[in-house]
Amino acid sequence: MGWVLAIPALPAIAFAVLVALPRRIRNTLLWVPVSAISIAALLSIGAFVRVLPGGAGIVVWQFHWPLARIGGHLLELGMQLGPISAVMLLTVSFVAACVEIYSLGYMHRDERVGWYFAVLSLFTSAMLTLVLADNLLLLFAMWELMGLCSYLLIGFWFELEAPRKASQKAFLTTRVGDLGLLFALFVIFKQTGTFAMTPVLASVGHWAPGVAVAAATGLLLGAMGKSAQVPLHVWLPDAMAGPTPASALIHAATMVAAGVYLIARTMPIFVAAPPVLHATLIVGAVTALLGGLLAAVQHDVKKVLAYSTISQLGLMFMALGAANVVAALFHLVTHAFFKSLLFLGAGVIIHAARTQDMREMGGLRKHLPVTTATFAIGSLALAGVPPLSGFFSKDGVIAALLEAHQYWAVATVFLVSLFTAFYMTRLYFRVFEGPEQIEHLHEGHASMIYPMTALAAVTCVLGAASVAFAVFLGREGEWPTLGLVLASLAVAGTGIGTGWWVYGRRSVVVNTRVYKERVPGLYGVLQQKFYFDLVYETVIVKPYMALTEALAAFDLRGIDGVVNAVARGWVVMSALSWRFDSSVIDGAVNGVASIARDSGKRVRRLQSGRLQTYQRLVLSAVVLLVLVLVVYVVVKGV
Amino acid sequence: MHVGVGAFLMLGAVLFSLGIYGALSKRATVQVLMSLELMAIAININLIALARFQTPRTMDGLFFALFTMVDSAAEVGLGLALMLAIFRRTDSSEVTTLDELKG
Repeated sequence: MGWVLAIPALPAIAFAVLVALPRRIRNTLLWVPVSAISIAALLSIGAFVRVLPGGAGIVVWQFHWPLARIGGHLLELGMQLGPISAVMLLTVSFVAACVEIYSLGYMHRDERVGWYFAVLSLFTSAMLTLVLADNLLLLFAMWELMGLCSYLLIGFWFELEAPRKASQKAFLTTRVGDLGLLFALFVIFKQTGTFAMTPVLASVGHWAPGVAVAAATGLLLGAMGKSAQVPLHVWLPDAMAGPTPASALIHAATMVAAGVYLIARTMPIFVAAPPVLHATLIVGAVTALLGGLLAAVQHDVKKVLAYSTISQLGLMFMALGAANVVAALFHLVTHAFFKSLLFLGAGVIIHAARTQDMREMGGLRKHLPVTTATFAIGSLALAGVPPLSGFFSKDGVIAALLEAHQYWAVATVFLVSLFTAFYMTRLYFRVFEGPEQIEHLHEGHASMIYPMTALAAVTCVLGAASVAFAVFLGREGEWPTLGLVLASLAVAGTGIGTGWWVYGRRSVVVNTRVYKERVPGLYGVLQQKFYFDLVYETVIVKPYMALTEALAAFDLRGIDGVVNAVARGWVVMSALSWRFDSSVIDGAVNGVASIARDSGKRVRRLQSGRLQTYQRLVLSAVVLLVLVLVVYVVVKGV
Repeated sequence: MHVGVGAFLMLGAVLFSLGIYGALSKRATVQVLMSLELMAIAININLIALARFQTPRTMDGLFFALFTMVDSAAEVGLGLALMLAIFRRTDSSEVTTLDELKG
């Protein structure tokens, strides 16, 4: 089973190959990442088949790699292949393959397309490793690697200001959550002395009271940041500044679902901490409602889908809050398929219409038949219309909440479903129906159409697997009851009907100003996105900027002042030193030299070379000596 | 007339002074050599006079005078040889032209 390692390794190799090459060559080697992820997808099918009997606790493959020994603790990286990992592998690799094939058509004109594919491959590799990880350390590393790739892809068009700012916002906001995850890791390691998931989860029952709560709180915080849950959701709508296929893969299908996966994987810790479990439910409910409401007032096609993603992730959190891993993961899987489908459709729409504002679109149905059909399938699945996959997974969530006796949460899900049906109908009629406002519309390239068709096909049939899915993950599955089906249908029908009433009834460009003027308060709140960005701007960003500016000023005046003063003092010192050097030291040296020179000049006159002169000198000296002797003798009186 | 040691010493002093004068002032090498001889003779007169007039009489001074004479003869031989060598080199027999060591 060692070939399972190849599934995350292949995209990583593709990344390494592309990154190492110069841009021009890199841009011509796009078949490398695409074939790598395609082979990985095929291998994932193989892995899935190996796990197929399913059931909780079945592990068909394990891998441990000791990293280091610190004190008495062994740090190791581990992977294992069980049912959850197999399902996630299949989902991630399949969606990633679709998105990469689609990107061949979508990004082929970009001059940095090779870099785009390289980062996409690295991301895919990180996500595939994450779902295989049986070790919190490895999971955390991949978690951060995905964050990096997300940052790089959001800011892919870094020449523009919006992507640049959005990438920073996404990176910093998710970092807040990651701090919680790191905290949880510390708590868990302190308690158990290991990062390996299996022993950690097995020992939860023996943990001291409070430890589970602390760990679960940290994990929840990390998941909230990654999965864009209120109040850390603000980065996801802005992340739409990145390339659309990247949004489809990272910000709809896989990375944002990593939070849900994390909680699902560590569910025993949450079960041991009921308050945190309840908090998960509340966070999910608030996020689902808020995302659904905001999706209804966006004009940007991608932002509608982004808020919709936030809302659907909220539903998954609610299922997790009811401690139902299967319902959450099934919704994760179905959502991954139909939401990436919708994003890919949005990409075709944006290509064709050359705008993202759906008020400027309309009548695209006649020119983009395949896109319209697949987009409609995705929309209906998202709205929860049977027999599409979204219906089954959403009913799974409702059933899970009913089972947990959280009736207000059930009501919330119905309300969210109503919103969902409404905003998707709005999106559909705004874009595909109504009068045409744009000329020269054209259908997407074949490489963009086929992946969408494949995803649409999966969306159509995946619902049939809902019972098998539950059994596969080791839980009893059951089909939705008739009452639930009828209730869901009624809610979806009401939402679609309302959407049609507002946006589809007339064949003119719809003007909704009437509604906005009727409820200006609500409209203002929604327009300002519930003031989250505004509050963050005033409470965090602006004080922080003020602080940094104050620190910069202090730096300039205080620190730089001291440094400059020292430097100036040094200059003065060295000037003095130079003067001392040149006058005293050099003076002494030169003085000695000139004394020697002058005296030499004088003395050389004595050395005339004439013998008789020397003799004269000798004679004078002798005479002088004799005189001295005589005087000495006379004075002494000898 | 009594001739004492003082007269001999005086003669020696006069001859020595003449020798010095000659050695210092003459330009011809031969004359300088002759002056040197004059100084040597003055010393010999002194030595012999002091040997003759001292009591008790010893032969030390006389022997010393003999040595000096031999020395002078050798000196003159050497000096004349030097003079010839200088003359060959410089076409001149004057000491004043030998100023190659001028600083």
